[in-house]
Amino acid sequence: MIVDGFFIAGAVVTLLAAIICVVAAILKHGPNDITILSLAAVELFLLVYAVAGIIRQVSGEAVAGETWEFWGYLLTALLVPVAAFWWSITDRSRWSNLVLGAAAVTVFVMLVRMEQIWDGAIAA
Amino acid sequence: MKTGREQQPVQRAQDTNEVARRATGFGRLLVAVYGVFALSATARAGYQIATKFAEAPVAYVLSAFAAVVYILATITLAKSGIRSYWLSVAAVGIELLGVVAVGLISLLDPELLPQDTVWSGFGQGYGYVPLVLPVVGLWWLWRHRPAAGQKPSEDRP
Repeated sequence: MIVDGFFIAGAVVTLLAAIICVVAAILKHGPNDITILSLAAVELFLLVYAVAGIIRQVSGEAVAGETWEFWGYLLTALLVPVAAFWWSITDRSRWSNLVLGAAAVTVFVMLVRMEQIWDGAIAA
Repeated sequence: MKTGREQQPVQRAQDTNEVARRATGFGRLLVAVYGVFALSATARAGYQIATKFAEAPVAYVLSAFAAVVYILATITLAKSGIRSYWLSVAAVGIELLGVVAVGLISLLDPELLPQDTVWSGFGQGYGYVPLVLPVVGLWWLWRHRPAAGQKPSEDRP
């Protein structure tokens, strides 16, 4: 697949959030400002990615794969950190940090798929 | 009316607590992972049925069935009641049977299910998580099993 700036930025943000959350869980911390903010950064990236996606589409950049599939993934991905946040704050054990970490990994996987759709690589 | 029923709620509360606690701690993570699978299996089955159902109807109906099982498992694992407990045992058990059966079929007779489902090749396409998940799920449910003699009918809130 063609690796573009959005993918690099998104991979850094999501994987960093995953590492922060997993390390916090290993250290037996419950969800705290650092882990929640790391997931907030993931959400922020997705919002920027979505706005950039709209701008790219409006300015005539073509999506190689199915456009509706790309937006389906993106809209779903936007819900993942929100759902994980809601699910984790109601139980402040260290496992909740793994929930946040799992959300970050999920967004990363979805980002890989979105990039494949956008750039038209071999479908997984 | 007061024939020893007063003592029951205390005992019942403790029992239900053990069952209720299955959605805390590690259970949170379990529900989250099930949620991700429910989401991706539903999206995948929806996509397959919407765009290419005629190619392999059996495989895609199976995809949809797997999606329903994951949704049921996610919701019932997250809820606290005894009824949900047994529903989650059923859902996770069906999931284990499904992944083993579909895995064996795809191994022994690949022609029978030409298209990939979540459970094909014992969940190969998803890093074998579909195979490990129900085993972990049943272990977790066993650890949080209700006390002996507790019936689903005792779960009235």
